[in-house]
Amino acid sequence: MERFILKAADRGYNKLVSVGGPASYIAGHPDAFLTRHSSFNFDDYQSGRHGFGKMRVFGDETFSHAGCGYNMHPHHDFIIMAFILSGELTHINTLGKVDTLKAGDYYAFSAGSGGKHCELNIEQEDLHVIYVWVLPDTLLLPPTYQRAHFNAIAARNKLVPVVGGNSSLPINQDLSISRLDSDTPGTYEYKLKSPNHGVYFFVVDGSATLDGVSLDKRDSVGIYSTDTITFQTGTDKSDILIVETIM
Amino acid sequence: MNDPFARYLCLGCGFLYDEQIGLPEHGIAAGTRWNDIPDDWVCPDCGTPKAHFEMVAIPYAPGEPEASASNTF
Repeated sequence: MERFILKAADRGYNKLVSVGGPASYIAGHPDAFLTRHSSFNFDDYQSGRHGFGKMRVFGDETFSHAGCGYNMHPHHDFIIMAFILSGELTHINTLGKVDTLKAGDYYAFSAGSGGKHCELNIEQEDLHVIYVWVLPDTLLLPPTYQRAHFNAIAARNKLVPVVGGNSSLPINQDLSISRLDSDTPGTYEYKLKSPNHGVYFFVVDGSATLDGVSLDKRDSVGIYSTDTITFQTGTDKSDILIVETIM
Repeated sequence: MNDPFARYLCLGCGFLYDEQIGLPEHGIAAGTRWNDIPDDWVCPDCGTPKAHFEMVAIPYAPGEPEASASNTF
């Protein structure tokens, strides 16, 4: 078994403001700002890990003050996913979609042969969102946009596939994402698809113990060369994302 | 220099550089090797430095890259 532990405070950190140089990229009123904690190298943060399997970006972001976000900008090929934790995201893309996503909602925007998108918080309340970027298994596919909802109440204390694999949201990559919302201590076993797959385990909220490693809010672990992981959730309400990827 | 042509993907936005195709619209001729592109070159779409591209061995979708040749994104 190979693994790394990434504590919340050891991630990359950027604060992006909507004035000055980045104004064409960052939207919003002059007091709007966006913070990003990156689990992997991205933008100015280049002293961490390159990625994990087919995942290149895992960004824990907050959009503060009305109008804050990313102005319309282009992408190719990356499968970009957003998981809304709280607040409201207005997503606009060049497939002609204008979408409003709230807590539990998530999307997968596969940029394929080319697409642009704009991500905005047009409300006063902060938007908390996790962005995951994944390399596709095929280049220049027709772009697509899919969205779904994770029902934390219906799924309480159950590990639920949300992207890829057996979920309702297929992607063009050997990568799947599962989510657990737990309100009571429990022990869970997660069996990996093959010895060539790895798991990135991220504690969104609450706490967990994974193979003896204590993890608090926004801590994470990457594990590979193993066939099963076992973890316990804490006494608090816990929210956990598991990304399983071919390595 | 008989190595197969390689493809490089921008980790800032996903922009693709294919050595076989080059970027004639940006003054880089077809067949230009990645190593022959200046180190200070940046992604034409998002400004990410050349050093933050990744070589990828991912196949094209059927009909590509020709079908996207006129794609303006």
